[in-house]
Amino acid sequence: MASAGSGDEKAAAAAMITLISSDNEKFEVTEATATLSQTIRHMIEDGCTDGGVPLPNVTSKILARVIEYCKKHATAAAGEEGSSSSFSDAAFLEVDRAFLEELEEFDDAFLEVDRATLFDLILAANYLDIKGLLNLTCQKVADSVKGKTPEQIREMYNIVNDLTPEEEAEIRRETQWAFE
Amino acid sequence: MAAAPPADLIDDVTAEILLRLPPDEPEHLFRAALVCKPWLRVLCDPAFRRRYRAFHGAPPLLGLLHRLQVLQGDPELGLVPATAAPLSPCPYYRRPLDCRHGRVLLHADNSDWHFVVWDPVTGGQQRVPEPKGIPWLIYTGAVLCAAAGCSHLDCHGGPFRIVFVATHDYTSTVMASVYSSESGAWSALASLDGGCEVYAQHIRDAVANIPYPYTPYVQPMRCTLIGDEIYCIIRWRNAIVKYNWASNCLSMINPPSHNAFDIALMVMEDSTLGFACTEGPCLYIWSRKVNSEGAAEWLRCKAIELETIIPVPNSWDQSFVAGYAEGVDVIFISSDVGLFTIELNSGKVRKLAEPGEYFSVLPYMSFYNPDGGRLSSLAKLTDV
Repeated sequence: MASAGSGDEKAAAAAMITLISSDNEKFEVTEATATLSQTIRHMIEDGCTDGGVPLPNVTSKILARVIEYCKKHATAAAGEEGSSSSFSDAAFLEVDRAFLEELEEFDDAFLEVDRATLFDLILAANYLDIKGLLNLTCQKVADSVKGKTPEQIREMYNIVNDLTPEEEAEIRRETQWAFE
Repeated sequence: MAAAPPADLIDDVTAEILLRLPPDEPEHLFRAALVCKPWLRVLCDPAFRRRYRAFHGAPPLLGLLHRLQVLQGDPELGLVPATAAPLSPCPYYRRPLDCRHGRVLLHADNSDWHFVVWDPVTGGQQRVPEPKGIPWLIYTGAVLCAAAGCSHLDCHGGPFRIVFVATHDYTSTVMASVYSSESGAWSALASLDGGCEVYAQHIRDAVANIPYPYTPYVQPMRCTLIGDEIYCIIRWRNAIVKYNWASNCLSMINPPSHNAFDIALMVMEDSTLGFACTEGPCLYIWSRKVNSEGAAEWLRCKAIELETIIPVPNSWDQSFVAGYAEGVDVIFISSDVGLFTIELNSGKVRKLAEPGEYFSVLPYMSFYNPDGGRLSSLAKLTDV
């Protein structure tokens, strides 16, 4: 396993980045954690992270949750890389499976938030371009919308109906089959 | 608190959410369209429809048609829906031949025999005459999108080809032709002859083994398309006919098993030709690997114990592979308990229909999204 590059990798993994939330709270995270965000990865590549990365669209409450997610998944990504050389080894596959199950449990627990927080997480995942988190949170909302009437969806997510009664009636007539 | 996000950002995340509504339950998209104008605007955006198709990859199964063997008679008419989405009324036909690339190919005999290419989503229909010079005895056919560079995720309208492969009624030869919707004409006829060594050997074997004049019967089942080639099966010994419609050339290749019954051809994940059959409670799948020198060999790549995944029938002898849906990697199995789909990757099983007369399942697959133009005009979104 030992290679000439592994020392550098360790140094890179240990490099710290400072993220600054909209309410001016500072979070110290490893580069490995921060680069799950494509937005931050690009900033690091462009060398514009000295003095911290301001994230004016993300509150400290949401940023703390996002970092929690990234930390867990960065470890998972590192674990996958470490075991890839022994892919055929049944023992390693067993470890991988256990790890994936643990990750799934983490994701399930992570989604146990109120709807306002869930939406804030989606906005943050979209802004920070964190594919896994965006997929996880959007799928959760999509699943909750499935099988609901438009009235129920509006109520669940506090959405104002700006269709006029005439427009709504016309569209409903055209798409009647979807409500049967 | 951060300021309220701007409207285009909200549209972005709304799109991210609506992208993840399942295509095999299209009603959810239509209900979401009625939530509010921003949601309707997202759903009606052509860019969203493109992203939705790309996100889901393969279109869902919207319905089924059935092709039967001659002795089973003609099947019940009509496309059997697999979702709640309403499809256009099915035109008259005698035998369904294929479903592919958003279209259905029907063979009809009102006034004279002809083909109908039907789009169940748009309702579009096109009548195409039969090729001249093939008095068919038994046949199969395919319809395919001919648009250059098309991903075939949402082919509606646009140029198409029809491929027709038939056993000649008098000469006992296998013939083929391809129709182009652009030129409105059939190609010259191609026929399978002794120039193909595998076919010459097939005929020698038939003459040596069959005590009456041999006719190579084209199996009336759905063809398999890989690149420019269409594959179908000859009943005796499961010989495989390959028709390259681009070069108008017919040839024959040997199957991995001569004596399996009710086999189905399929496209493997690596775009090689697959061959599936059941033997008792076991489903076997072979893949035809071609090496860099062009030599081909069949490799058995999957053996699936059916009794662990579908309900155990009274008799496994009546279970068979009734077809395959490309892109979604679904195989159709008919047994005396019903007609089932098996997702080969996940092992997920779904019962589609009660037991009945089945032979070759024609899966109609297409996306079914809200019609952007129509709905946005109803909601007067044009000013947005």
